[in-house]
Amino acid sequence: MLASLLVFVALSSVPGDPAQLILGLNAAPDALAALRSQLGLDVPAPQRYLAWLAGALRGDLGESINYGRPVSALIIDRLAVSVPLTLGAGLIACLIALPLGVTAALRRGTWADPLVTVAAQVGAAVPSFWLGLLFILFFAVQLGWMPAGGFVPWERDFVGALRSLALPMLALGLGQAAVMTRMTRSAMIDALGQDYVRTARAKGLEPGTVVFGHALRNALVTLVTILGLSLSNVFIGSIVIEQVFALPGLGRLALTAIGTRDFPLIQGEIVLYASVIILLGFLVDVSYGLLDPRIRID
Amino acid sequence: MSVSVRSYLRSFLAALVACALTAGAAAQDAPAPQYGGELVVAITADPPGWDPSVSTSQEIARVVYHNVFEGLVRFDAAGEIVPALAESWSLSDDRLELTFQLREGVVFHDGTPLQASDVVAKFERATDPDSGHTNPQYYDAIESVVGDEEAGTVTFRLSRPSQGLLYNLARPDSIIYPAGSAETQRTNPVGTGPFRFVEYLEGSEVRLEAFADYHQDGVPYLDAVTFRIIGDPNTRFAALQAGDVDLIGTALPPEQFLQAQQDPNLKGTEGTATTEITLAMNNARAPFDDLRVRQAITHAIDKDAIVDGAMFGLGAVIGTHMSPAEPYYVDLTDTYPYDPERARELLEEAGYGDGLSFAFELPEPYNIERRSGQVIAQQLAEVGIDVELSVVEWGTWIQRIFLGADFDMTIIGHSEPRDIDVYANPDYYYQYDNPRVAELLAEAEAATTEAEANAAFQEIARIIAEDAVNVWVFSPPYLVAARTDVHGFWTDQPTPAIDVTGVYRAD
Repeated sequence: MLASLLVFVALSSVPGDPAQLILGLNAAPDALAALRSQLGLDVPAPQRYLAWLAGALRGDLGESINYGRPVSALIIDRLAVSVPLTLGAGLIACLIALPLGVTAALRRGTWADPLVTVAAQVGAAVPSFWLGLLFILFFAVQLGWMPAGGFVPWERDFVGALRSLALPMLALGLGQAAVMTRMTRSAMIDALGQDYVRTARAKGLEPGTVVFGHALRNALVTLVTILGLSLSNVFIGSIVIEQVFALPGLGRLALTAIGTRDFPLIQGEIVLYASVIILLGFLVDVSYGLLDPRIRID
Repeated sequence: MSVSVRSYLRSFLAALVACALTAGAAAQDAPAPQYGGELVVAITADPPGWDPSVSTSQEIARVVYHNVFEGLVRFDAAGEIVPALAESWSLSDDRLELTFQLREGVVFHDGTPLQASDVVAKFERATDPDSGHTNPQYYDAIESVVGDEEAGTVTFRLSRPSQGLLYNLARPDSIIYPAGSAETQRTNPVGTGPFRFVEYLEGSEVRLEAFADYHQDGVPYLDAVTFRIIGDPNTRFAALQAGDVDLIGTALPPEQFLQAQQDPNLKGTEGTATTEITLAMNNARAPFDDLRVRQAITHAIDKDAIVDGAMFGLGAVIGTHMSPAEPYYVDLTDTYPYDPERARELLEEAGYGDGLSFAFELPEPYNIERRSGQVIAQQLAEVGIDVELSVVEWGTWIQRIFLGADFDMTIIGHSEPRDIDVYANPDYYYQYDNPRVAELLAEAEAATTEAEANAAFQEIARIIAEDAVNVWVFSPPYLVAARTDVHGFWTDQPTPAIDVTGVYRAD
């Protein structure tokens, strides 16, 4: 709610009038006034905000100016792209980062650790949109294996939809994997240096049991926190990737909304983004209790 | 000879010439038209609905103009006004009654036949200030519209003779749809064009399919057309290279056009457009309120270098607010030619011998303007003008610079055809106040012949060039890149449109 208020105040102070953007640069004042009242823009800002808030509390986010459809319906449509994209990219990041990070931590002092560290450093420095563009040029233009952007709806062609999401997931996932690898590595190094690991080793436990049963288990709390942050990052980062791959996701919707000063749609998107991030934080908090009984709160 | 015969003769002659031209081109490379197949066209953004009489967004016109919607008359590929829903028209001797004969047997995509009452309803809406119709000034000479269902005619009674009305009736704003359907056209467009609207997936694509009952025989050739929305220019071009997209007919950067010409699977065409890249100055604000300063700035700018540097040499240098594609074009590039010495002298005379500094703001969405602006800043520096360059977000540009006229200098492409009339408006963002321009504009509107009207337009062009209101830098060409098997698309852009009626695929 605080986010929505901040955004509303910010939007009200930024120049730009949706009616003007619709009717064009040479629009007549009469026509503009008529359209403004039709869009409800002739009401003072505080009153407009309260009306919006009252609607939002009842689950009604209003109607988009640009698309002429309910904001909630537009957002739900776009979830079909953004949710699989975020989860897929997050999964790719985990699958790469966990083994690499653990390996690097265990192989400290050998060639593997610096190799992984450098690779992660490079990966984190490469912007995802650039990586995405390289993927398009290589996999779509050169090899012709994948579509060069665009999206096929799930209900029309399931495999086609998956294919159109594969490259963006990879572009988004790889960048995040780099960041996660570094964090996994340092979390594991921390855990491996703990007294209980030394004790476990001293009492003659198998190295596998020590690493996975003791060190990793204890590092998991940190790792889940990282995962939560990563998913938030990927969710936000998809704004750029959706633009590069011409995907009809929430990010493109937000950019269009801002460009056309589609106030109800921007507000709706902000509420959604804020809710997703709060929800991820909540899930992370809940998972602490499951992973580590000591944190359980009664 | 009545006007109707003359205009008819004219368009007939134009059609003959166009046929001869295309026949000449066809003899060289284009294969014979073939029926069938689909086409994917890339566009840059989601249009705000589909009704060009509700929003002036060019994204709407590109998709629907003559593909989905038609007016009484329309522009053809060469920019000539040709019959569309009206098969002929005539003007009374006092030039106060314009009568259109509607084509017979025209049906809308929903199956209802076109009637005179549909046309009447349209123009009653267009002349009603409360209806929210775009550009009501296009229709302000119309006093009343009367339809005769029996005879299939529609008569416009005018309050004054209007040279520009027929032209305005060919614009995207003037399309006709069934009476009473204005509310739903925004989301469900129903017109008379060769393609009917099938499906719109927001942020993704819009699909049109051939309309079986189209009133003109022989077209369209394609079974269906998909307009795919791809915001990023690099992705758009990659999609063309990969074969996911067949044609890019909007916002094609010059380097991609050159690349398309090199690619064996692609071709690039270069034609004319009505855009003028305009270095706009705030004429009401110091130092631009001094003619010598504006002259000096014009002399300081090497337009050829800008076309080379920002456009890879693609573009025609201009000297007034007109592109070579306009019927009344006049070459005024020599009014204040590139001459940095003279620029320094004029600045000295105006009292800015020690230098001059002001803000120069570039519009964020427009790549060509941003690039040109950077070259211009360097050229101005060479005569001692120090500009503070900044990039401005589009909504802000419109509100503060364009509508608020709160700026020193900016640069923008003015793409509407016949838009020299803005110089008659002292409130326009250039803040140029010269009543003589408004007089000439009224003369053009009341002119009895097109030649007379054109003479008045040319006089305006000369006055604003001599007053150095702005620096008109160049007219960028209309660039298209397409797969080699795509033929019959517009290679010039007399009005923003991607008309695919005559497009076909053949190897």
